[in-house]
Amino acid sequence: MLPQALIHNFVYLLRGAEFTLLLSAGSIVLSSALGVVVAVLHVFGPLPVRILIEIYVFLVRGIPLLILLFAMYYMLPYIGIDLEPMSGGILVIGLYYGAFMSQVFRGAILSLPKSQWDAARGLGMRWLLMLQIVIFPQAFRIAAPPFVNTCMQLIKSTSLVSIIGLWELTMAGRETVERTLAPFQIFAGVALIYFCICFSLATYGRYLEKRMQYVH
Amino acid sequence: MLASEAVPADAQMPFDINFIIRNLPLFGKGLVVTVELSLLAIIAAMIWGLVVAIGRMSQHRALRALAASYIEIVRDTPVLVQMYFIYFGFSMAGFGMTGFASGLLALSLQNGGYIAEIYRAGIESISIKQLEGGKALGMSRWDVMSIVILPQALVRVIPPLANQFIVIIKDTSLVSAIAVAELTQIGKLLMERSAASYEVILTLAVLYLMLTGIVSAMSRLAERQFAIYH
Amino acid sequence: MSIDPLAEPATPLIEISGLTKRFGTNEVLHQISLTVTKGQTVAVIGPSGSGKTTMLRCINLLEEFDDGEIVFDGQPIGYRRDPGGRRRRLPERDIAASRSNIGIVFQSFNLFPHMTVLRNIMAAPVRVKGIDRATAERTARDLLDRVGLADKAGEYPIRLSGGQQQRVAIARALAMQPKLMLFDEVTSALDPELVGEVLAVIKQLAEDGMTMVLVTHEMQFARDVADMVVFMAEGRIVEQGPPKTLFANPQSDRLRTFLRRYHEAYLL
Repeated sequence: MLPQALIHNFVYLLRGAEFTLLLSAGSIVLSSALGVVVAVLHVFGPLPVRILIEIYVFLVRGIPLLILLFAMYYMLPYIGIDLEPMSGGILVIGLYYGAFMSQVFRGAILSLPKSQWDAARGLGMRWLLMLQIVIFPQAFRIAAPPFVNTCMQLIKSTSLVSIIGLWELTMAGRETVERTLAPFQIFAGVALIYFCICFSLATYGRYLEKRMQYVH
Repeated sequence: MLASEAVPADAQMPFDINFIIRNLPLFGKGLVVTVELSLLAIIAAMIWGLVVAIGRMSQHRALRALAASYIEIVRDTPVLVQMYFIYFGFSMAGFGMTGFASGLLALSLQNGGYIAEIYRAGIESISIKQLEGGKALGMSRWDVMSIVILPQALVRVIPPLANQFIVIIKDTSLVSAIAVAELTQIGKLLMERSAASYEVILTLAVLYLMLTGIVSAMSRLAERQFAIYH
Repeated sequence: MSIDPLAEPATPLIEISGLTKRFGTNEVLHQISLTVTKGQTVAVIGPSGSGKTTMLRCINLLEEFDDGEIVFDGQPIGYRRDPGGRRRRLPERDIAASRSNIGIVFQSFNLFPHMTVLRNIMAAPVRVKGIDRATAERTARDLLDRVGLADKAGEYPIRLSGGQQQRVAIARALAMQPKLMLFDEVTSALDPELVGEVLAVIKQLAEDGMTMVLVTHEMQFARDVADMVVFMAEGRIVEQGPPKTLFANPQSDRLRTFLRRYHEAYLL
């Protein structure tokens, strides 16, 4: 017995997945850029900056993403900011995951042995050059597996924007269920699409991890 | 689609602490539900996670594969979709699960998978040499497990477990989408009815920070306690 | 290598005076004073914890120091005294510039694992000293040849043995054309059979006239190659002098005990 409802609506779900990927891509770019900057500041910055960053990470760790999405949805109109839904979603998710990304990059930078810093300084390299040719290339390699993992979490988190009415895969799923009254089929299909995206990422992440063990 | 279409453009925004005070009982009710759901989900996930972990580390290849596939499926799909699947699926099938039950089931299934991996990592991180050392002394596999490996694994497992508990607490906010009157849902209702969105968000944030903060503090305390035994 | 007594009076390359360093309440270096002249090879020996590595790392300011002065080639390193007599830290630019004229080789080689051998050697001359790539590459290959590793230019450090990595590290330091070379127990982490190839390179450097300060446990090497041996213990210089007299006729009890223990361990 074939899942008729799912087959008929699969293309509609895939269109939703397109938006999921768009939303994810934008958020990944924003959170990664933010993450690198925050990580560098967290490692090298003056004490007041570092304290601020610790507060930022503390807040993100303890507050559910949904609360912040609600904040955007309910609060911003009062301040007079009128964001496009997709941009708003990318902004909130990007800022949220910026904290996680910064922890990933910071961990990678700090995992480099002090001796690498010694060697670079001993050769007369200055701060910026050190970061550029010695620290960052190595840190990015180390950060790759947890980075991919965090991207995966981010993509799953995009499903939350359906709760504030943004249209993407999960929302497309809900709409389809309301129309077809076949929740098991449709949500299984939605889960399948998410699974395909996330499983590929998870596999790639595991591959990266194996490669790292070989090199170091 | 955004709230800006539903809300008058000239609404005021002074900070009204009385609003919070007036609605404390309501927040309290939501908080209780959140705490209930979190605790039940944590306990269920820890137990289910143990079951899955045993399967994951068993001697039988089929069992290991089954457990591994389960973990992979549950980790690569969003928990919200799992909740929808259970809630809408079962109510349509006439089996009528409440939002609370659906949320609890979904949270337990998902986090059970994550926690199974945490258990596994903890046990596997204790060097294989300890297992060999115990066997050389004439201990059975089970003895070595319980006396040598598990106590050490326990310490290593506390930080990632605490982290997962925090994830569970944060994910309870999702059941607001399936009509459970927990903290976030209460907040959402209040924001829809009034203009006090800032106050509500702040209160929600503080309350969640309290909950997750308690878990973090307890985890640090537990770590310190175990460190004494080393 | 001995200094020709008929040559011009030796010009000091490093002058350390009153060098002091504290870790909290613990004084790790106490009023160290030492002068190294151009072309001199100085071996620093002593028990672990004597502060010899710390002193070496202060010379190119990889370690900070709390008091005293270090003057390298006429320029102060790290700190200077302003007209009012206060201690002022020099700008990073100056510190980095001094470092680029001092080469240092570490116990754990510290090659950059993500770069080939050739790039390891070329990176600093090109990016720090602004030497053009063609010249830098020629110099690099030349140096690799001198240390006997010409065929390893395209390899990654992980594929080399400890001794080979250390020789690359020496070439990397030499590529900056330093006036001074610092060696921090560079053979301690090597398998015994690989030590010889590294010591051979260092010996050749000394014969070619490089000014060097070596912290080492290799007493035999110190005796054969050094012009002056400095014995440190508990953060102080206890004795110093030419190797022949120092080893044959130790003046202090501390040095005598140290040498006796060493003889017992290695049947020198």
